[in-house]
Amino acid sequence: MSRPDLSVRLGSLALPNPILTASGTFGYGLEFAHLADLDKLGGIVTKGLSLEPLKGNPPPRIGETRGGVLNSIGLQNIGIERFLADVLPGLERYPARVMVNLFGYELDDYARLAEKVDAYAGVAAVELNVSCPNVKKGGIEFGHDPELLERLVRSVRGATSKPIAVKLSPNVTSPATLGEAAKAGGADILSAVNTVLGMAIDPWTRRPRLATTRGGLSGPAIKPIAVRIVHDVARQVGLPVIGIGGVETVDDVVEFLLAGASAVQVGTALFRDPRTAERLVSGLEQRLAAEGLASVRELIGAMRPWEEH
Amino acid sequence: MVARPLPYYTIELEVPADWSAIRAGQFVMIATHPIAEPALEPYLRRAFSVHDLSRTDRSTRIELLAKIVGRGTRALAARRSGERLAVLGPLGRPFTIPESGPVALVAGGVGSAPMFLLARELVARGVSFDLFYGGRSSVDLARLAELAALAQPAGELVATTEDGSVGRRGRITEPLAVRLAEARYRAIYACGPQGLLARLAELAAEHGVPGEAALETAMGCGFGACLGCAVPLVSGRFGLCCKEGPVFAFDAVRW
Repeated sequence: MSRPDLSVRLGSLALPNPILTASGTFGYGLEFAHLADLDKLGGIVTKGLSLEPLKGNPPPRIGETRGGVLNSIGLQNIGIERFLADVLPGLERYPARVMVNLFGYELDDYARLAEKVDAYAGVAAVELNVSCPNVKKGGIEFGHDPELLERLVRSVRGATSKPIAVKLSPNVTSPATLGEAAKAGGADILSAVNTVLGMAIDPWTRRPRLATTRGGLSGPAIKPIAVRIVHDVARQVGLPVIGIGGVETVDDVVEFLLAGASAVQVGTALFRDPRTAERLVSGLEQRLAAEGLASVRELIGAMRPWEEH
Repeated sequence: MVARPLPYYTIELEVPADWSAIRAGQFVMIATHPIAEPALEPYLRRAFSVHDLSRTDRSTRIELLAKIVGRGTRALAARRSGERLAVLGPLGRPFTIPESGPVALVAGGVGSAPMFLLARELVARGVSFDLFYGGRSSVDLARLAELAALAQPAGELVATTEDGSVGRRGRITEPLAVRLAEARYRAIYACGPQGLLARLAELAAEHGVPGEAALETAMGCGFGACLGCAVPLVSGRFGLCCKEGPVFAFDAVRW
């Protein structure tokens, strides 16, 4: 039997395989060049980029919980101009498709950012961060208000012809409703989910584990939340979905695909092993071969629901 | 191999041969559970300074010095000889080795971890040093005799404990301040609790002596991806402890 086909397509975005690295967990990609095999990845999603560089939140910025990591980095980044000038040329040497994660404070910021990346062939798609819990006005109200979100996406649609992914917040009652709004505004892809708003306190020092008190929870602890949202969004909205939240093993990847995701992003697992993503690519290929599947696409949305009673 | 007494212990790891280029102040990220049984808690690897390095024709080994302070260090203390652990390293910026002495090395408690390897490097280079080693009690001065032997004959080890069980009763900054007033040192190298390092930076500035400190912060990945290990710098921005540090010049950090 020939090798299983790992390629997937999310709207007009074609990926060599469905394993991407999540925004904020892989820097700008090149930091990992000596630690991981970038050639194997389906895609790299950059750290969130803003119009101006941002210095981020004071420490402590990171804390651990059971099966999870709380963070409040505060979107520290080098700014879009420096990324395009200094980092993107280095990334273009790799076959992994580059998704540029963008965030702004004002609605117009997103379109201005998208306009700036539009001319760069090395940018395969943009991912709009409208759901970061760690920066006041870090786009968060855009991700919680369907009307605002639709307007925002529409403005970005007018600024770029590249595929637009919108990263959804899990911290709303109905993420699918926000997904609908993004679709109405012209989004091509939905990324689900961003971190879950959380908090932890050191019982001995009585201090919150994060300087900002609250932060975003990621890692295996949030996977069932993410799977539920991916499932609901994929069924209700009908756009291709990228599943994010606690992906670490081949089983996790298969689970997200069955729920309806067309690809996944690996995030927090990279912190404990920077080779996680490339391992998942080879592990997924072996799994497909073992199951006798010719293409990974056969798994997308292939969950077998229980019969209704 | 794990050697005790608790709550301090050392763990010896066989590492790839090219790790023999490790320098004092550099660190590794180590999984607290065996590769075959990854844990959900702690989920992340733990950062440890390289405490010692040994090379033979057959193998390169590093030693880490740890103190049980939580789940991670407790899990690591339970490891047995022969287990395989995932380790990433060597990481970070090492201490700047001075051309000539005398210099002062200052260790607070488990902050002696990188000072052991630094002392060895100084001995190998013929740079004389005094070592100031402070802790709450005698148990906090791990490997005291070996460190004293490294400091001699060109220098000496000065120990203090807060309970007076070893050395002079008091804090390690007290005897150091006396020596600094005598203008003895060309530089200070330190590792220990934040409060100690901040006080040292102050003392060093008062006496016009340059210095470096190896910092400890909460760390997510160890290689500059998570941006979790922010250190406030005098310049106003945040430096990453894992990439720009863990060794910082005293006057670069906003203590």
